Amino acid sequence: MIKMQRKTVTDQGFDETVKNLTPEKIEKTINYVLKKEAAARLKAYVETCVHCGLCNEACHFYLSYDRDPSYSPVSKVRQTLWDMMKKKGKVDAETLKMYARIGYTECNICRRCSMYCPFGIDMGYLMILVRRICGLLKVAPLYLQDQGYSHMYTYSQSWVAQDDWVDTVQFVEEEIRMDIKNARIPLDKEGAEIMYSPHSLEAKFKTNLLANIAKIMNVAKIDWTMPSFDGWDSTNQAMHVGDHETMGMVERMHFNAGFKLKVKKIVTSE
Amino acid sequence: MYDFLTSIELYNFLKGPMVWIAFLVFICGSIYRTISLIMLAKKDKVVYPYLSLKYTLRSLAHWLIPFGSRNMRLHPWMTFFAFTFHIGLLVTPIFLYPHIMLWYKAWGVRWWSLPENVADIMTLIVVLCCVFFIFRRMFASEVRFVTYASDYLIIAIAAAPFVTGFLSFHQLIFPYRLMLILHIIIGELMLMVIPFTRLSHMLFFWLTRAHTGSEFGVFRHSKDY
Repeated sequence: MIKMQRKTVTDQGFDETVKNLTPEKIEKTINYVLKKEAAARLKAYVETCVHCGLCNEACHFYLSYDRDPSYSPVSKVRQTLWDMMKKKGKVDAETLKMYARIGYTECNICRRCSMYCPFGIDMGYLMILVRRICGLLKVAPLYLQDQGYSHMYTYSQSWVAQDDWVDTVQFVEEEIRMDIKNARIPLDKEGAEIMYSPHSLEAKFKTNLLANIAKIMNVAKIDWTMPSFDGWDSTNQAMHVGDHETMGMVERMHFNAGFKLKVKKIVTSE
Repeated sequence: MYDFLTSIELYNFLKGPMVWIAFLVFICGSIYRTISLIMLAKKDKVVYPYLSLKYTLRSLAHWLIPFGSRNMRLHPWMTFFAFTFHIGLLVTPIFLYPHIMLWYKAWGVRWWSLPENVADIMTLIVVLCCVFFIFRRMFASEVRFVTYASDYLIIAIAAAPFVTGFLSFHQLIFPYRLMLILHIIIGELMLMVIPFTRLSHMLFFWLTRAHTGSEFGVFRHSKDY
């Protein structure tokens, strides 16, 4: 059943930012990403795909929208990447908005479709390229952009800077001492077995989750630690915006924290 | 035009130098395309670190054995037609008696050939599969949405040598000589375009599967089938 209808959704991240774009800027960005950044995989995937449509069954968007063909993985690639390549990057702002809508809101890059493709074509990677292009042009959901900027500014997803983080940990430690006598949240313990790195929101709204983990670690008597310095956050929203530069910085910071503390394992939450 | 198409000079040219050209273009083109892609993959920093022979073979085995992967079991008809089609497409021309005779006359090599009626049936099956693919493209809405004219063209390129071969063998529609020459031209054309159209999935299948299979195996510890 072909419906292909979309509700009109307003998002400042889309609607306001496209006003700043010129066709030349869009063309330059698209060609930069497709020709300079993407290499063998894009070429192989585009030239191998025989448009068989066997990936449909994998997509939860496709299945939950009553098998609307415009939500199937390959058709999302068709409406974005193939369209760009066909037009050689010469698209207007409205079309770019459509790419962004598909890239950010109609595919969450779970990569299940690449397990269903006879050629193993990684459609997640192709959609990441779409996000990369839109991200470079700053056409992305506002909430996501905000989190991306937070990573740049505070090195955590939710505007929790390093001093706030240490503060939160001390407060949580006090809290759990109501339940467990002399409970500890050891920060910066070198050579520990496990470095626990929480989700950024555990330090912001959901400190009870951090408290739960701390209780488990204390009761199980696990040799664990957390960094007091930047790199404690395990999330990486910059990746979702398509901001690969910040993504690399955040990831490096996270793993460097583990190296600095000489831990054996990094345990992340979600 | 008709005289030219049925002339013995054209026939000799197609049977001689043109075969060399077609095979050279096909083989050199395939090698060039494969090697250039492998070289280009060095620029993609995440391709080589994951590659693993074990998981590549695991992935290939599951996708080369009929009904070896979950998606094949979800689409039994498509799996049936796709496998029959590809097997027919590769086996029929290689083991067809007249083709082997041409090799024998040229180089003195010969091998086992298919019985005539079996080859006939296999040809018809390949054409039938192409008809199935065309109908699927036309009537399955999710496939029609991603279909371009080039998709029909690819199916036509694959079917044409079989259709013309069958017609010339049974001497239908056109006179034998004309049909045979058309068959040779189309066959050689098909060989030459393989590396440069999306028929190159014949070459890239192994590479994309190697990457995805290894990545899912080494990095994610999960299945890709």
